[in-house]
Amino acid sequence: MSFLQIEPVRILLYLVGICAFVGANAAYLVLAERKGAGRIQRRPGPNEAGFGGILQPVADGIKLLAKQVMVPPGTDALLFRAAPLMVMAPPLMCLAMIPFSDSIVARHLNVGLLFVFSFGSINVMALMLGGWASRNKFAIISSARVVSQNVAYEIPMLLVVITLLMVTGTMDLNEIIHQQGGGIWHWNLFKVWVNPLMPVTFVIFFICMLAETNRAPFDMAEAESELVAGAFTEYGGMGFGVFFMAEYANIVVGCSLATVLFLGGWQSPIGVLSGGLWGAGWFLLKLYGLIFTVIWIRWTFPRTQFYSLLNLSWKILIPISLFTLLLTGAMMKLPVVYHQFF
Amino acid sequence: MNPIPFADYLVLALFALIVGTTIGGALIAALSTRIIRGVSGLMMCCVGLGGLYYFLNSPFLALMEILIYVGAVCVTIVFGVMLSEPDEPPHQESRRHAALWGGGALLVCLAIAFGVAHLGLSGPWTEPATRVNDGSVEAIGLALLTTYSLPFELISIVLLVAILGALVIARSGRTKE
Amino acid sequence: MSLLTALRDTYSGFKSLLTGLRITAREASKPSITVQYPHETLKMPERFRGHVKLVLDPVTGKSRCTSCNLCVRACPSDCITVEGIKREGEKKKSVSEYTLDFTTCSLCGSCVEACPSDAIEYSKDYNVVSLHREDFSRMDLVKKLEAEAKVWAEKNPEAAAAAAAASAAAMAAAAAAPAKPAVAPAPASAATPTPTSTPAAAANPVAPVRSPEPKTT
Repeated sequence: MSFLQIEPVRILLYLVGICAFVGANAAYLVLAERKGAGRIQRRPGPNEAGFGGILQPVADGIKLLAKQVMVPPGTDALLFRAAPLMVMAPPLMCLAMIPFSDSIVARHLNVGLLFVFSFGSINVMALMLGGWASRNKFAIISSARVVSQNVAYEIPMLLVVITLLMVTGTMDLNEIIHQQGGGIWHWNLFKVWVNPLMPVTFVIFFICMLAETNRAPFDMAEAESELVAGAFTEYGGMGFGVFFMAEYANIVVGCSLATVLFLGGWQSPIGVLSGGLWGAGWFLLKLYGLIFTVIWIRWTFPRTQFYSLLNLSWKILIPISLFTLLLTGAMMKLPVVYHQFF
Repeated sequence: MNPIPFADYLVLALFALIVGTTIGGALIAALSTRIIRGVSGLMMCCVGLGGLYYFLNSPFLALMEILIYVGAVCVTIVFGVMLSEPDEPPHQESRRHAALWGGGALLVCLAIAFGVAHLGLSGPWTEPATRVNDGSVEAIGLALLTTYSLPFELISIVLLVAILGALVIARSGRTKE
Repeated sequence: MSLLTALRDTYSGFKSLLTGLRITAREASKPSITVQYPHETLKMPERFRGHVKLVLDPVTGKSRCTSCNLCVRACPSDCITVEGIKREGEKKKSVSEYTLDFTTCSLCGSCVEACPSDAIEYSKDYNVVSLHREDFSRMDLVKKLEAEAKVWAEKNPEAAAAAAAASAAAMAAAAAAPAKPAVAPAPASAATPTPTSTPAAAANPVAPVRSPEPKTT
């Protein structure tokens, strides 16, 4: 038995790997975001540091690291310092569950989906505590927004996921991917014979994911034109940097969850070549496709109003997702009932 | 299952960490004068409880604990805190006979703790804490709809009452009379 | 009925979102249109009004200014001072010192309009920057012209050489013919005719003499 296969060592290695993955992603997604914004606005984006701006995240990181972490007077110093830790921990935990390929998964748990959602829900708490501890009216308004937004969007998201659970019958993320093997038409996104509204379900999931990660057009939490920087107004230096990184880490988690649940995870779209590193390649391809869509959406749509944000959730997404839930249940159970009686 | 050096100590350390989180969180929740810190302590306590459930081989319950108590209940409490007065109440003069009341409360607490501990230690434990079922969605669903259908339905009634209560409160606030 | 309306609204709203995404995708595929400022700059339009500058005559490589002081008189805010000298071998006076107080200049352009010999114009400088107030309160336009002339000379050496030769010839003629109303430093300045056609105003430390105006033609 190799040393690397000892469970604690393996988990430790994976955690280091995940931290590195999250760090690199957070750094370079910021660059990708700025470059993408530049392209859409027909300018080149950051291009001074390094070749074509490739060193910009390094420069930003050094700048943030070199800054002093100030705890402004009047704040709740303990919570103020704890909030960045709490905001970063959940996405790291969640990524431990995500299967990057058939064998590359930090910890296999048969309730992996639940794990991701339960730790994803702590994230709200962290943002809120950070905002509250800052003793800043902008931060507190932002915190209140974060909470009501997340509460509102958790519901359609969970409804959609329950719909999907009814189809898959398991909360094991790797098992969910295994069920989607054998070509693009086996992905949950295109399983229209199970539920003709499956693509709609995916869209709802994606919208909820945007809202849960406080991304534009739902970034009411850091509406910079009205709330300075939202919940992290008072943070400077690496405290701010961690919040910023956590936002991107959450996007990575959300997009990888969408990939796993709807786009077949590491399964290849042509039915072959989905084992080992190929699988990881397919997974990353789909993941970054979704992430670029997120960036694209951010620079296309203006920020919504807060009331229309809540209206969208309560008046459109929740009814539709409830309907898909009922429809899926009916379509799954009606044949059984039919066979019993006729 | 792997022969790891100091495996027992590692597990013990983890257990101690989880118990420490639970107790520490509970103490913070009970002793803190700032309400927001109290909620944070409650959150810590719930996370620790989740860890304890995990130690008892029921990851589903552990995750549910976190999802519901941290992700929903604590968030709701903080939301309530935000809608209340932002400042802490001014420090009040301690009441007369405070020591007497405190001592009484302590006695009652000790009695309850002792009773529970006594029951736990002497009561018959039929099943060792091993995995009862595989914890899959199917098993949970079956359990909820067969063996535990009565609690399940009772919970739904509680939720229904809560929703109705919320509606009543919201309605009465909206009419301008 | 209202359910149908709601569904239709949702559908059309979603479609409009996709339209928006299509538009941004199309824009993203076009080339970028910004100017990378420190590396490349835009050419200023003809009518851009920067601070006033002396025109470099493309034939002589010198200023056309005759220090007639009309611009000084035209200036509403008194921000121009002009000193001129009479050089050997030249018909008119030439400028030796042209100072603009840019801190009070309002860029009205009266000086440009007043100039009879088209010797001043608006410059195209838009990033004038300095750490010292004196660089603006006493902006030495002659110095700027010299720098410009140096560049001009390097760019088209034939024209510069021709101009230098012409001026040298004129000076030689002046030195040869009537040395009667002798201005003391005239031979000295004629003795060092720089071939690179630097307008020899500041190079030769000639005191800005104004009073003795010997009419030698």
